[in-house]
Amino acid sequence: MVNVMKGVLVECDPAMKQFLLHLDEKLALGRKFIIQDLDESHLFISTDIVETLQARVDELMDRISFPLHEKEA
Amino acid sequence: MEKAAAENDDSGSVSLLVIVLDTNPSQRIVRQNPDNLSQCLDATVAFGNAHLMQKAQNKLAVISCHHHATDFLYPMPVKQLEVRQVDGQYEVFSLVEKTVKQRLSHIITNAPKITQPNESLLAGSMSMALCYVARMQRNAQPGVKIHSRILVLTGSNECASQYMTYMNVFFTAQKLGIVIDVCALDKSLSLLQQGCDITGGQYLRLTQLDGLLQYLLWVFLPDPKTRQMLVLPPPTKVDYRAACFCHREMIDIGYVCSVCLSIFCKFSPICTTCHTVFKVPGPLPPKPKKKKKV
Amino acid sequence: MTDYKASSSSSKHGSVSSSMPSSLLVAKPANLQCKDFQEYLRTRSPDTLEKLYNYPTICLAVYRELPEIARQFVIRILFVEQPVPQAVVASWGSQYYAKEQASSTNILTELNVWRTTTIPGGLSAWELCPTFKKNLKIALLGGGKPWSMSHTLEKDSKPRDIAFLDQYAMSRWRCVLHYMVGTGGANKGQGSEVISPDAVRILLHANLMKRDETGITITRQGFQFLLLDTQSQVWHFMLMYLDTCEERGLSLPECLSMLFQLSFSTLGRDYSSEGMNPKMLAFLQHLREFGLVFQRKRKEGRFYPTRLALNVTNKAATVPAVVLEDEKSQESGYIVVETNYRVYAYTDSPLQVAVLGLFTELLYRFPNLVVGVLTRDSVRQALRGGITADQIISYLEQYSHPNMKLTESAIKSKSPLPPTVVDQIKLWELERNRFTYTEGVVYNQFLSQADFITLRDYAQSINVLVWQNERTRTMVVTKNGHDDVKRFWKKFSKNAS
Repeated sequence: MVNVMKGVLVECDPAMKQFLLHLDEKLALGRKFIIQDLDESHLFISTDIVETLQARVDELMDRISFPLHEKEA
Repeated sequence: MEKAAAENDDSGSVSLLVIVLDTNPSQRIVRQNPDNLSQCLDATVAFGNAHLMQKAQNKLAVISCHHHATDFLYPMPVKQLEVRQVDGQYEVFSLVEKTVKQRLSHIITNAPKITQPNESLLAGSMSMALCYVARMQRNAQPGVKIHSRILVLTGSNECASQYMTYMNVFFTAQKLGIVIDVCALDKSLSLLQQGCDITGGQYLRLTQLDGLLQYLLWVFLPDPKTRQMLVLPPPTKVDYRAACFCHREMIDIGYVCSVCLSIFCKFSPICTTCHTVFKVPGPLPPKPKKKKKV
Repeated sequence: MTDYKASSSSSKHGSVSSSMPSSLLVAKPANLQCKDFQEYLRTRSPDTLEKLYNYPTICLAVYRELPEIARQFVIRILFVEQPVPQAVVASWGSQYYAKEQASSTNILTELNVWRTTTIPGGLSAWELCPTFKKNLKIALLGGGKPWSMSHTLEKDSKPRDIAFLDQYAMSRWRCVLHYMVGTGGANKGQGSEVISPDAVRILLHANLMKRDETGITITRQGFQFLLLDTQSQVWHFMLMYLDTCEERGLSLPECLSMLFQLSFSTLGRDYSSEGMNPKMLAFLQHLREFGLVFQRKRKEGRFYPTRLALNVTNKAATVPAVVLEDEKSQESGYIVVETNYRVYAYTDSPLQVAVLGLFTELLYRFPNLVVGVLTRDSVRQALRGGITADQIISYLEQYSHPNMKLTESAIKSKSPLPPTVVDQIKLWELERNRFTYTEGVVYNQFLSQADFITLRDYAQSINVLVWQNERTRTMVVTKNGHDDVKRFWKKFSKNAS
């Protein structure tokens, strides 16, 4: 028998994949969302989480970026 | 994506072609059959328009080289003609055709009568073409690159008396990155051929006028960048021998004026080019003696 | 660009391509697709092309759009009266550029400029399409009928100069742009910013604006449209107009030929509309509305083409490359970008400020100067709005101040912008694209390797496979392909059992 599941295939670099695994493990988005870990650059996740996930990733990127110019008062 | 990049590459570039057309009535082909001149003219105009047709940014200038003067046939120096379209021809092309024909007939009717064949002032005309190119380059908008070339169409003989001017023109052109193409309609022109070689242009000698336009379109229409994509007549061996100024013969070894570098096959006490007076040559003094003097 | 193409090609196989994905992030919305003239022609049928080639103007425009090698080939066989053997034509090009030559040959065939014939002796040969050949010759050498807008007319008592025409054209065109960003709505009292229902219909058709509950608003493509240079805007807009011209009862070849006649006319000269049929006069009125031609009164038989109409397919040719002493300089760039991400724009136009505000954080505003700064947030906001990094960069390059261009030629850089800024904008875009999402269905826990391979090969053959691993017997197919694969699997397992 074959098992069939709907979802979203995510392709990303290994570093980002680790971040996703971390979010999944810590239930940072409220629940588990990774359906299957495919290989080092692919994950299969549930569809409804994508938007939340993207927001979370944006937040991460915001945290690790520094303003390039000084805005004077 | 790649295609867009390639297009961006030459979007800011303009190709300027200056045609120097020899209109001297003393050319052999014109003396034999005056119709040849109008045939050349038609081919030149069609060729010039074909150049303008390649790209909307392309620019054209036509210069007539006569035995007494050099004049612009296109564009008019000050105000352009008011040409209205009469048939299906593109307005710009009609303008070129009308202007060239009108200006040339004006030049021919106003030219002083000559009794004996005179040589064409080709080197002078080419200098004028260089000046025009320099002016266009100076006036170019920031960010615009102008690729210029000069095409000389002539049925004249070699004019060794203009040797100096020729060489000045060739090296100036080389320095400015201007390509000189030559289409010889009668005799082979080794001096101009050197010019083509120096500037990386094409030299072509035609033995008959039939199919002139086809040859022009084949060899001279593609700009230097495109030429490497096409198969063109292979370069012939350039004869870098200089013509002596006294008898206009090609020589391997000769006398060179130490002031202007004019070349003579026989010794002459006064240089005919720069009028420097030389001492009468004695037998060459033996070398050791010379060293002692110093 | 590439992902858009990939997604459109994969959706072709889906049973219902219109089924929209639930999440916007999964399928990227279509970007603005700007066709150039050649691409446009390639989508026409050979019959249409044949009809178009009846006009010398169109032949000339088509010729100019061809690749370099193709142009040389055409002009060399233009004056040859019999077909030229293909081997001969092939020998004209250098073997080092065989790829370029092959693509040129293909384009000439696709555009129906030339076709294959056989010459006595059984060799295949190229022959220019007779209509194209005849009309290109007319454009080059003369003969034939004059173009429909070239009748002589007496001198205009009050001729309009180029500066006036430029100003007129830009003010008309800005009306359309203002309408799009809605700045026109604010001062409706003046009545100058209102555009005709026809123009609105074209904007809607082109998907640059859309109608929703609140009225007509600008779309994502509309914003991208605003970032294009004026020439590309006009061209895109006119293409959309031509798409709808058959509905208006206008003939496409006639309109296109008229457009190119304008495109090949001389700036600052008046032309007569005498002898045009009523449909063409209607077309002329539309062109007048968008600012492609200037006409004093609707009924007047005299009009002036403006710079917008000139060289409509070619943006590089619109700016005079060489300014002679007697010509005035044109509207030039006004934006200065510094290495510290500051953007100075010498402008007082609300439209330009609005466009700039799409991707910069505006700091100060003076009567003739706006100062802003490119920040990660401002650029990301633009990126979120569907504007690409390339569009931002090309906009800044397009309107960069002449002094910026001078440094460009001085340091032999390709772009007038500081390289740091260009790179950073691109990096900001890249950091958003660390994930690619593909909505799909995963198949796993296959009982046998053979089952897996059969199903995988089937999915691959109908082009719906996105990922697979033979060792873990797992595969992912696209959402649209799932139904097909499921059906196949049911049939397969039934046969097997």
